[in-house]
Amino acid sequence: MNYRIIQKRGIWLGISGSLFIAAVIAIFMWGLKFGIDFTGGSLLEVKFTGIRLEVSAIEGQLKDLNLGSLIVQPVNKDGMILRFQDSSKEKHQEVLNKLDELVKKDQKDQKIEEVRYDAVGPSIGIELKRKAILSIFWVLVAIVIYISIAFLKVSKPVVSWKYGVSALIAMSHDVIITIGAFAALGRFYNMEINAPFVAAVLTVLGYSVHDTIVVFDRIRENLPKSDEDFASTVNISLNQTLGRSINTSMTALLALVSIIIFGGESIRSFALALTIGIFIGTYSSIFVASPLLVVWERLRKDR
Amino acid sequence: MPDNILQKLFQPSGRGKVWWLFAFIILLVIISGIIDAGSYYNKGADWLSAKTGQTIKLPYAKEIPFRLGLDLQGGTQLVYSADVTNVPEADRRSAIDGVRDVIERRVNVFGVSEPNIQTNKSGDDYQVIVELAGIKDVNEAIKTIGETPLLEFKEQNTAVKQLTEEEKNQLIATNQEAEKKAEEILGKAISGGDFTALVGEFSNDDAAKANGGDLGWVTENDNQAIVSQIKGLDKGKVYADLIKTSQGFEIVKLEDKRVKINPFDNKSEKEVKASHLLICFQGSDNCENGLSKEEALAKISKLKEEAIPANFIDLVKNNSTEPGAETSGGDLGWFAKGAMVKPFADAVFSQSVGTISDVVETPFGYHLIYKQEEKDLEEYKISHILIKTAKEEDVAGPQSEWKNTELSGKNLKRAAVNFNPNDNSPEVSLEFDDEGAKMFADITGRNINKPVAIYLDGYAISVPTVNEKITGGKAVISGRFNIQEAKLLSQRLNAGALPVPISLVNQQTVGASLGRDSLVASLDAGLYAFLLVGIFMILFYRLPGLLSVISLLIYSLLVLAIFKIWPVTLTLSGVAGFIFSVGIAVDANVLTFARLREELRRGRPLNSALEEAFARAWPSIRDSNSFTIITSIILIIFTTSVVKGFAVTLIIGVAMSMFSAIIITRTFLRLIPARWLESKHWLITSIKKQS
Repeated sequence: MNYRIIQKRGIWLGISGSLFIAAVIAIFMWGLKFGIDFTGGSLLEVKFTGIRLEVSAIEGQLKDLNLGSLIVQPVNKDGMILRFQDSSKEKHQEVLNKLDELVKKDQKDQKIEEVRYDAVGPSIGIELKRKAILSIFWVLVAIVIYISIAFLKVSKPVVSWKYGVSALIAMSHDVIITIGAFAALGRFYNMEINAPFVAAVLTVLGYSVHDTIVVFDRIRENLPKSDEDFASTVNISLNQTLGRSINTSMTALLALVSIIIFGGESIRSFALALTIGIFIGTYSSIFVASPLLVVWERLRKDR
Repeated sequence: MPDNILQKLFQPSGRGKVWWLFAFIILLVIISGIIDAGSYYNKGADWLSAKTGQTIKLPYAKEIPFRLGLDLQGGTQLVYSADVTNVPEADRRSAIDGVRDVIERRVNVFGVSEPNIQTNKSGDDYQVIVELAGIKDVNEAIKTIGETPLLEFKEQNTAVKQLTEEEKNQLIATNQEAEKKAEEILGKAISGGDFTALVGEFSNDDAAKANGGDLGWVTENDNQAIVSQIKGLDKGKVYADLIKTSQGFEIVKLEDKRVKINPFDNKSEKEVKASHLLICFQGSDNCENGLSKEEALAKISKLKEEAIPANFIDLVKNNSTEPGAETSGGDLGWFAKGAMVKPFADAVFSQSVGTISDVVETPFGYHLIYKQEEKDLEEYKISHILIKTAKEEDVAGPQSEWKNTELSGKNLKRAAVNFNPNDNSPEVSLEFDDEGAKMFADITGRNINKPVAIYLDGYAISVPTVNEKITGGKAVISGRFNIQEAKLLSQRLNAGALPVPISLVNQQTVGASLGRDSLVASLDAGLYAFLLVGIFMILFYRLPGLLSVISLLIYSLLVLAIFKIWPVTLTLSGVAGFIFSVGIAVDANVLTFARLREELRRGRPLNSALEEAFARAWPSIRDSNSFTIITSIILIIFTTSVVKGFAVTLIIGVAMSMFSAIIITRTFLRLIPARWLESKHWLITSIKKQS
């Protein structure tokens, strides 16, 4: 079997382009919903031993505390998550006292249990943003250097750094689309972006490159012994690695889907980000990175 | 031909080598299995020795638990930011280490099992991260850590505070307003307003306010700024201008004036106008000319012979050693008896007007005095209204009186309760470590006759004046507490005084139940991930798939063993990293197997296809996995602890996956006799060999 992937590159690049543009629009229109890791603030999860209080009752009870923006969200069947801007320990205690008071009013023997409490000072959030940007930057630098060195010997008909740049473009594509998906998820499902999201994005970067390298490696191997032109050689290489690409992603995605389904609430958005990113990353290693190499080679010839 | 297995093993060629590898793998499996499941192994050993009547006794294994992160076992993470602005750049690191040690001691007192306390520098911010696992009462813990006393030693601050441009303008504006107000009041007072009433309403001089602004009887010496202005005024009049003094604007009324009478001899006191010539000598105050006493006396005696009233000023200008005499001519102006040192005053008040005195000796040297005029000393009864003006420190805030020294609580070795030998009051004695003792000696050495302050939690608790340099590294905090307070203070100081102030910037608490739930959920997820990946691999790749699942199993055993002995702290994201690595660990196998099928399709015999597949797949496996490792290292360097857990497990996972795919799976595949496999071709692929 020989799929004509390179020959139909217009379609694949078109799909990628539209997804990419949609993602950029989503990011600019809706922005990202940053969680307290970035913005600073408090997240308090409580569990009710008795009947769970109504959201409105909790909001009413806490109105006088001046917590900044207060968001109350039910979780599971007996829990409630409260998010607010203030991160002082005094306010935290006051909130717990007020809630307890409210519970005790109707149900004497019941109480609330604190399941989780995160408080992040504003300075930490700024620091995290700085570190996130820095680490993404260094990963990008590492990628270009790594691929350029790895493909140093392959200079015909495409110079080694072009492999690096193609991988880089494919990878940016993966990351932007993943972030765009989270802009949409934030808009419609209130999904927040916290520190692990940065890890997910960076892992997607790594995985995307990893996937692309496998294809490029095959191109590198086939080029010297191939009688066909560059485009056909790339296409053959793609076909040869296609099974592997899909199967590897399948196993990675199977592992991630297990985490999404069974791994619990706290880790779900992290696994979801990885899942989206790896799916897109697999797509781009087949349908974006290599076609780009061919496009580039054609451009050079036309000149 | 080797004819027995021993020969095969010791002449490792081809399959012999493979058997060695296989034995090595089995050994690894046994070791990591024992590490992973130490308690089960020990139970098994017990059972075995019981069954065999103590004849077979296996050695016990050390049971190593997994180190679980706070999010999996429940607990609290507190991040403190340390304020090191008062600590010189070079000492900050050690100050932070001091904070960590102190918090560690504090937390140990609190009785948390295995607290994890780390320091961290991010940007210019120094942090101390405290992890308390399985803690019940977080608030109590925060209080315990926060309550730790901050002990500082301070000395007087002599630096001058500079005003900003804005503050200067503010100062000018304030004072212009004060002047305007003062002028209005002056207008009222001159135009006949009731002075006493005006005092009551406006004056800022609270002491004099009660007496209608009365300053009592004063001479010009007592209050030069005011009296010099109102000397010519008639009794009962208000001076027509504002008088500017260091305090502010003064509106002054002269109530009365009289000649001052000396209360001892009932004679009127005098004041004189005089000028003088000074020749100082070595040993007299502020003298720099280097003349000996005898030389000075000779010189001034000679000048005395020349001196007449007409040439006195010139003589002074040419000869006097008094600073500024060249221009002032030694003029002293009008002064009363008390204004001069006694030998000088005695001389000038006893000589006649218009004469030049004999040589007079004072601590300043030898003088000749020319007495120009003499009159009765007047004194004045004055009332005033003061409108205060603002000074620089009013605007800029008070200059902080104390500044930090290099000595702080971290240099404290021991504190104890003592009793003052004089009055038996309780004191807290401090003993410094060697470094602290040296610092304390330096501080006391440079502050002799000056106060130093001992601050506790930001308040001065003791401000002793240093009498002498104190060596030996001991100090005492005295006064102001009873015996209970002294005891408590010494206990708190012994538990540790923080070298710098800290503030809580980040808190994460995970309830024990959520931790347990997360742990169970992660285990479930891991199990299902393994099952799904395994089923997929077997369905897709048949026998090699099955072998890769076995090597995946071994991979898991190895990785978990590494987690235990490293030890890696397993957080939720770390477990996710491990599960994810299970998913990508088979990637190397997938790469190889895909290659294997390709080679078979080309018609290679199975044996060589196998070797070719592994050889060809290796560069891709190496390149792609080393890239994942690079990414993970960057993650570890640049991000927070939550993310680090993920990156660490991912690195271990990826590194081990290369080992398992290349060594383990390959060994298994080689062990299967090729001839047998050749006949069961369907075990590998449905693709028929091209012939």
